[in-house]
Amino acid sequence: MLRSRLALIIVALVGVLALLFVVLAVGLVAGLGSKGSPGPAPGETPSDPAATGNGVPSGPSSGELRILGADPPTMDPHLAGDVDSATYIVEIFSGLVTLDRDLKVVPDIAESWQTTDGVTWTFQLRPGVRFHNNKVVTAQDFKFSFERACDPRTASTTAHTYLGDIVGCTDKLNGVAREVRGVQVVDDATLRLVIDAPKVYFIEKLTYPTAFVLDEANVRSGSAWTLRPNGTGPFKLQEWRPGERLILQRNDAYYRGPAKLERVRFILSGGSSITMYENNEIDVSGVGLTDIDRALDPANPLNRELINAPELSVGYIGFNTTKPPFDDLKVRQAFNYAVDKRKIVSVVLKDLVEPAAGILPPGLPGYSKDIKGLEFDAARAKQLLAESKYGSAQGLGRVVITIPGTGTALPPTSEAIIQQWKDNLGVTVEIQQVEFATFLQDLNRGIFQAFEIGWVADYPDPQNFLDLLFHSGSLENRSYFSDPEVDRILDQARVEKNETARLALYRQAEQLIVDKAPWLPLWHGRGYILVKPYVRGWYIAPLVVPFFKDISIEK
Amino acid sequence: MASTTFEAAPAAVRHRARSPWREALRRFLRKRAAVACLVFLLIVYFAGLLAPWVAPYDFRAQDLDNAGQGPSLSHPLGTDRLGRDIFSRIIWGARTAAIVSIAAVVTGSLVLGMVLGSLAGYFGRWVDTIIMRIGDIFLAFPGLLLVIFIAATLKPRALALAVAVEDSLGVRGIVASGLVDYFVVFGALALFGWVGMARLVRGQMLALKEAQFVEAARALGAGPGRIVFRHMLPNAMGPIIVIVSMAMGGTVTSEVVLSWLGIGIQPPNPSWGTMLWENQGMLRSNPHLLLVPAAVVASVIFAFNILGDGLNDALNPRAR
Amino acid sequence: MLAYILRRLLWVPVVLLVVTFVTFGLGVYGPGDPITLRLGQHANPEVAARLRHELGLDQPFVVQYREYLSGVVHGDLGESLVYRGRPVSALIFPKIWVSMQLGLLATAIAVGAGVPLGLMAALRQGTWKDTSIVSGALSLYIMPAFILAPILLYLFAFRLHWVPAAGWGGLVDKRIILPALVLGLPGIAGITRLMRASTLEVIGQDYVRTARAKGLLPRRINYVHIGRNAILPVVTVVGLSLATLVEGAFITETIFGIPGVGRLAVESLFARDYPVIMALTLLVAAGYVFVNLAVDIAYGVLDPRIRYR
Repeated sequence: MLRSRLALIIVALVGVLALLFVVLAVGLVAGLGSKGSPGPAPGETPSDPAATGNGVPSGPSSGELRILGADPPTMDPHLAGDVDSATYIVEIFSGLVTLDRDLKVVPDIAESWQTTDGVTWTFQLRPGVRFHNNKVVTAQDFKFSFERACDPRTASTTAHTYLGDIVGCTDKLNGVAREVRGVQVVDDATLRLVIDAPKVYFIEKLTYPTAFVLDEANVRSGSAWTLRPNGTGPFKLQEWRPGERLILQRNDAYYRGPAKLERVRFILSGGSSITMYENNEIDVSGVGLTDIDRALDPANPLNRELINAPELSVGYIGFNTTKPPFDDLKVRQAFNYAVDKRKIVSVVLKDLVEPAAGILPPGLPGYSKDIKGLEFDAARAKQLLAESKYGSAQGLGRVVITIPGTGTALPPTSEAIIQQWKDNLGVTVEIQQVEFATFLQDLNRGIFQAFEIGWVADYPDPQNFLDLLFHSGSLENRSYFSDPEVDRILDQARVEKNETARLALYRQAEQLIVDKAPWLPLWHGRGYILVKPYVRGWYIAPLVVPFFKDISIEK
Repeated sequence: MASTTFEAAPAAVRHRARSPWREALRRFLRKRAAVACLVFLLIVYFAGLLAPWVAPYDFRAQDLDNAGQGPSLSHPLGTDRLGRDIFSRIIWGARTAAIVSIAAVVTGSLVLGMVLGSLAGYFGRWVDTIIMRIGDIFLAFPGLLLVIFIAATLKPRALALAVAVEDSLGVRGIVASGLVDYFVVFGALALFGWVGMARLVRGQMLALKEAQFVEAARALGAGPGRIVFRHMLPNAMGPIIVIVSMAMGGTVTSEVVLSWLGIGIQPPNPSWGTMLWENQGMLRSNPHLLLVPAAVVASVIFAFNILGDGLNDALNPRAR
Repeated sequence: MLAYILRRLLWVPVVLLVVTFVTFGLGVYGPGDPITLRLGQHANPEVAARLRHELGLDQPFVVQYREYLSGVVHGDLGESLVYRGRPVSALIFPKIWVSMQLGLLATAIAVGAGVPLGLMAALRQGTWKDTSIVSGALSLYIMPAFILAPILLYLFAFRLHWVPAAGWGGLVDKRIILPALVLGLPGIAGITRLMRASTLEVIGQDYVRTARAKGLLPRRINYVHIGRNAILPVVTVVGLSLATLVEGAFITETIFGIPGVGRLAVESLFARDYPVIMALTLLVAAGYVFVNLAVDIAYGVLDPRIRYR
């Protein structure tokens, strides 16, 4: 017995020693690893006197806005293709042009620009624009930046989409050219861009971070340069502790006038946003489905702090128009008419979103209330199904709808839709939920019969929706919709220079698309946000645009 | 997850007293709590397996006009956001839990674990080395992560396969019944479930190998199969039963966790984990949507543990 | 003995090789890939092919694996595919450190409450105190994190405002309390049971009877002799379980917004961030193998009844 007890003691000792060793080693490595971001051990940070790391913060310090944020995958504007990264990047960096609150393209580093033919664009740079380290921005910096974005070694996922129109960009991306011919430095303050065809919407693409200007010395300072970015935007990156916090500090020398806020503190660790809001830990919070009842209740104090606005998005069910049974127009229409979106939206989604009639979301240029959707009509749905080449619910064969996600957005709605198809058409549709990475791969292979997903505007133009998603030649067209009439109108709209005529063309295309039903458009997103009364100037931006500059805190 | 696992104390070699099983049964029946838990679990499992006949409503039947209601006469536990009967969904969820836990424990622990453990323990030498090292490799994986990965990525492929099979045979219903989900989830769980059992059985075999009655059997010319299955395994049954009851509870938890993560049983097929996940955050608006499945899950895990304790006391009296 | 240790040590690289090979293979041959994910709905085969080439993902599996291994041997775990430009080691070690702090506190809670409870239950074996301690502890054990956490949050963060709802500030910060409780409370049941069982075993042994015979006070017998001896298996089990802290506790971390390694692991899995997944798998496997080996050797040295071949 004694021996076995001794054995236990030794094992215990070995265990404890091994543990101590591991803890020490990890602590050491962690300490070394986090050298990149300022500040020593967890807890206090000397460089940040206003840190409220310990305990419940009593309220905001003046000039500091506190909100929940997400860890950005990258701070490199040329690599970012996601909303999380863009949120910070548009505050730290900037480009030739940007979007204002109404999503109009406005001058940024470029003071003005001219184009006569829609092919050659000449930009006049604003004098005295400086990087955060005080270096003056020249047209040469833009040339460097565009060429870096198009360099295959940068491995940008967005360069092709946003800069691909520039002459020579794809050559550079494909490694057959050393420079991008379409980017020309006229003088220090003048930049010329030449694109491959007249495209009015090209200027909108330049608002995207892929077209932002970088400081060559900064980029060449090592792979960790994004931890100390030298940008041109209204804020500087002061501190970034992954998973904990990210702090933006005002750039007092900002060329369009310094921001009113001294600092924006993003809490990266996540958690229940609305609870933190009610606890006064943050100043702004989104409202989800589970709390919307409380926030909408006029008797609840939260109600007075609630604002809402449309987001530029559309949720939809896409039908693969090349696969049975959705290769038949009447089947697609029947599946449209059979769903009572209004009822689902009001019961399941508590009117948090707007039922969609067409494709374009409200708030997007070109959006029209006059688009006639395929509104719920059970009798008509049945009739169309009977008229289709499949003749009846039994004739359709197996129908499967695939939805992405491991716990992503609102699956009860999918179940409600399935139920309505069953009730109103007598069709039993099977649901398959697939993890997102796998979903995307299979979506690209075109193997789904039907799928549920959403589309969010990359830039505020109907072209971003209609041309990309419904032109027979577009890679993003996952319903494989092909209609010569629609293609013709879309082609025409691409080169139409008169804005009113252009939007009219898109309206015409949209109505045709809705009637041909490659989609069952479901709803347009709407943002619901709680904002503390002392936060001034907050609004719901439908896209990621430079935002915090005009917000202030007044107590 | 950083959870601590505890192995049942190895049973000492027991002499074949007169009817040890009756003795154990007598001891077990004295534990009223354990008996009550056994009865409760039997009810849950049978209700689950018989769900199509027991549940008052179809688990899919929606009634948007009566969504999110509290308990009433027609819906004893209320309805969820789509107006589905929660009581029926709990029963159908029990079906999922029952099928997955039985299948995973039988294939993983009982079949794989017992056979491999017996082989390793009885033959020793290189057989032992190979089996135990393979077990080591399995344990060295971050198990939960791998289960998540397999469940998340394998299922679409398994589903596609099932669809192809259905189409070529001209049958329907395999996919719709959610069998593929069950299969993938219990397969992933079983893959990592066998090692613990194999180790336990091996330990028992090592201890029993030198026992007199085994040597006697060997002297009488019995083959290894007969020795292992007729003489040794029955003597190791006590700890095995205890482990199985614990493993069942553990598997129910794992199934709930996987479904909670959205990679176990997919909607509309019900699982308690899916119900918990669908209704998380409803604590303030519709608490019963969260509390009912939570209470059911908690009671089942509780019952398995009390049952395991009771069995341990009854079957391994020396371990007390 | 020495030969045994050597043989076991030789197994270590084999285990690690198999584990990394299988994980790598699952990543490369499994459905979904990081490039498709990054491109999202803007699927462009040309762009995808170019990116795949730039990141070396178009190489044959064996070449990729060999390059990965040679990197690891030279202490380079690679760069994250999601967090571009960030070395994997800079990404994971701070997060492991966070998870460890949380895990240690949770373990401390489990041991701190479980040991005295188990001791007490054993010394009052069969009484109502025993029963209530055991079942009380058990009722904590059955609370999965995703049930316990919302309830605790509702009570302490929202109703009472004692602690912030979420976030992370290290070991000396209020925000660690709730997650540590969620992780630690279920552990109390395990420790209590183990302590109770081992106490009962100690009570039955000769030297306790001797101590009693010598006329030492019962209280002294209980807490010094019995407690000291009974705690050993608990320490062993806890020591072993600490090896699993590297894996983190991702449900708790997710609910409470803690930047731990468990969350990173699951996120990397869904994002197909192979280098991060590989590094974590490697660490977990290595931790497991070495702790296991140490324990086996220690037992072998001290218990002659265990024979190694």
